[in-house]
Amino acid sequence: MNRSLTSRRKFLVSSAAGVSGAWLTANWPGIAAAADHAAHMASAPGFVPTKFVFFTAAEAADVDAIAAQILPSGATPGARDAHAVYFIDQAFATFNADLAPSFRAGLAAFQRGYREAQPSGGAFASASAAEQLAWLKTVDTTPFFEAVRQLTVLGTLSASKYGGNFEGKGWQMMHFEDQHIFEPPFGYYDRDYPGFVPYTKEGTS
Amino acid sequence: MTRTFKPDETVDFLVVGSGPSGGVIARELSRAGFTVLVMEQGPRLFPSDFEHDELKYFYLAGITNSPKLSPQTFRAGPGAPSLLPTFRNPLTYARLVGGSGNHFTANFWRFHEVDFNERSRLGGIPGASLADWPISYQELEPYYTKVEWEVGVSGLAGASPFDPPRSKPYPMPPLPVKSSGVLFERGARKLGLHPFPAPMAITSQPYRGRPACVSCGFCQGFGCEVMAKSSPLYTTIPEAEATGRCEVRSESYVFNVDMNDKGRVTGVRYFDKDKKEHFQKARAVVLSANGAETARLLLNSHNAKFPQGLANSSGLVGKYLMFNAGANAHAVFEHELNEYKSVQVTRVLHDFYDSDPKRGFYGGGGIDARIGPQPAAWALVTGKELPRWGKEFKERLEMFPRSMIIQGHTTSLAVETNSVSIDPQLKDAWGVPAIRVTYKDHPDDLKISQFLLDRSVEILEAAGAQKIWRADVAERSTSVHLLGTARMGNDPATSVVDKYHRTHDIKNLFLCDGSSLVTSGRGQPTMTIQALAFRAADHIARFAKRNEI
Repeated sequence: MNRSLTSRRKFLVSSAAGVSGAWLTANWPGIAAAADHAAHMASAPGFVPTKFVFFTAAEAADVDAIAAQILPSGATPGARDAHAVYFIDQAFATFNADLAPSFRAGLAAFQRGYREAQPSGGAFASASAAEQLAWLKTVDTTPFFEAVRQLTVLGTLSASKYGGNFEGKGWQMMHFEDQHIFEPPFGYYDRDYPGFVPYTKEGTS
Repeated sequence: MTRTFKPDETVDFLVVGSGPSGGVIARELSRAGFTVLVMEQGPRLFPSDFEHDELKYFYLAGITNSPKLSPQTFRAGPGAPSLLPTFRNPLTYARLVGGSGNHFTANFWRFHEVDFNERSRLGGIPGASLADWPISYQELEPYYTKVEWEVGVSGLAGASPFDPPRSKPYPMPPLPVKSSGVLFERGARKLGLHPFPAPMAITSQPYRGRPACVSCGFCQGFGCEVMAKSSPLYTTIPEAEATGRCEVRSESYVFNVDMNDKGRVTGVRYFDKDKKEHFQKARAVVLSANGAETARLLLNSHNAKFPQGLANSSGLVGKYLMFNAGANAHAVFEHELNEYKSVQVTRVLHDFYDSDPKRGFYGGGGIDARIGPQPAAWALVTGKELPRWGKEFKERLEMFPRSMIIQGHTTSLAVETNSVSIDPQLKDAWGVPAIRVTYKDHPDDLKISQFLLDRSVEILEAAGAQKIWRADVAERSTSVHLLGTARMGNDPATSVVDKYHRTHDIKNLFLCDGSSLVTSGRGQPTMTIQALAFRAADHIARFAKRNEI
């Protein structure tokens, strides 16, 4: 095995713990290709935005608060832990720029509606979690809420290079491993599968 | 060895589209000794270009037709208002060399005998144009076998008691079973059903210079980074180029097929990557641009002799669009399945494939076990029984590793008003008139979807699911199965191409892709599209050698 292959194998083994040596050997050509690919992808620069480029601070606070109710933090990370609001901010500054005006208008209407309904007139982000939850239940069929919902999910679960899924926390929440190879058995139920039993002529096994 | 043609050089065959059908046609005709030029709208990518990037592939049209550059409008019936979707086109296809053979899930079951002669067996269906094919399953069988061996399909011959006759086993054994397949098999067998290993166009062992699948799980909607998926990009296209008689010209967007006064096509007009217009001469043209773009190209190529679209004397180009209907049930089990690992499907059943008049409606289908897409797309699946946000929503996402889906795949009836037509106002980024999709499921399509959903729930219950959700059975407005828009038939008044894929109207113009299908099958059409392409290429080569084109 040459140096290049050794290097790929090292990378692969380090990034795919649990893969057996026997399987590695038996499936080497495909694994080598996957290792190359995994190494290439791992070398891509990460992206952790620290400033908002589309939202104002007040807008970001409200969107973050909505996102945190859509996917709340708890025993596992939520949208806030995954920096979903940064993803949403980046989206409207880049690939969703054409939708930015309508989103901003929807956000303004949301903020106005909330203020008008509250005697205190405070911002949504500064309300208690219970108050936020109660208000969101009154608007969760609006197009604006649906847009935030979808963007929150994408911001939590898309690749980190888009500004969200901070440190892979969204994938941690879903117990998802982004690897380039997996060896069977894949789960609990296929561990002891005895093999496919053919049907008899009568159609029973 | 790749050949390059000049625009004023007349190629024997110009193939529009490099996907599952175009790749086969190009390989077979170039191997038969003809010069072939394949025009592909999109770029040529390599395995290292494909990424595990859900946002890019599912939401930003990374390798598919973009609604921003190639928009389409949608109407839910002829009288309904036209809508302009911004997120996803109604008709989605992959726009790169290898076409939708790059992003397909790779389910590769054969159509059954009934798919070809259901009109004779069942009679007419009110509100639909159900018709027999001009060819039988038996006529296509050798070409199904050819696909399995030439393209590379994993499976277990004879495993399903409902399988149609076959002349040869699969060239590769089935892929390793997943937990979803084990549970599906457990539940289905308890109910007296007959699940079997899914035929997949993915290598289960090294095959013809390609490695075995390494189970990364990014199949559906993604390009394969290790060449295990039997895409044209890794199979038919390089084999065509290896003849030294075939050029694949990427980033070449054909927008018109030209015809002379003698009623013969002479070549195509296309834009290169810099949007510069060119004309390429050809002795014959084969459109394999998919069921959306083949119809659009014909309709946009109207001329004095064919004012309603090239080769459209029947008026049927673009009509009878079929999607394949279906619905799915979600379930959670006690232990982890980790369905995001490995290929999407490992078990399927065909017990309900045939239409049964006792059900009171037309239709049939297959059912398979899967998770479907990766995390974000899975999280965004909606249904009235599925939580959408908050604590319950998050709990559903946390159960991802213990989750699976059972998906029904069904017939779609051919309805004349379901169509690809040209939008009267909308144009794409090249100034070419855009597609208007008109589609409303036949009521029987929804009934068979509901029927298979009920069976799916029964299987999940029998398998011991802890919790089950039903996705909604709803009318469809999007599809990646683009079928029936230039149907095959013997009568020029009721079909667009003959049984050899030659247009009834123009002797040197052939159409071969999803548009040729007369019925929709029960899903997973790519296998049949490729079998048709092998058969078409055989006949087209024979005609050419006899100087009958």
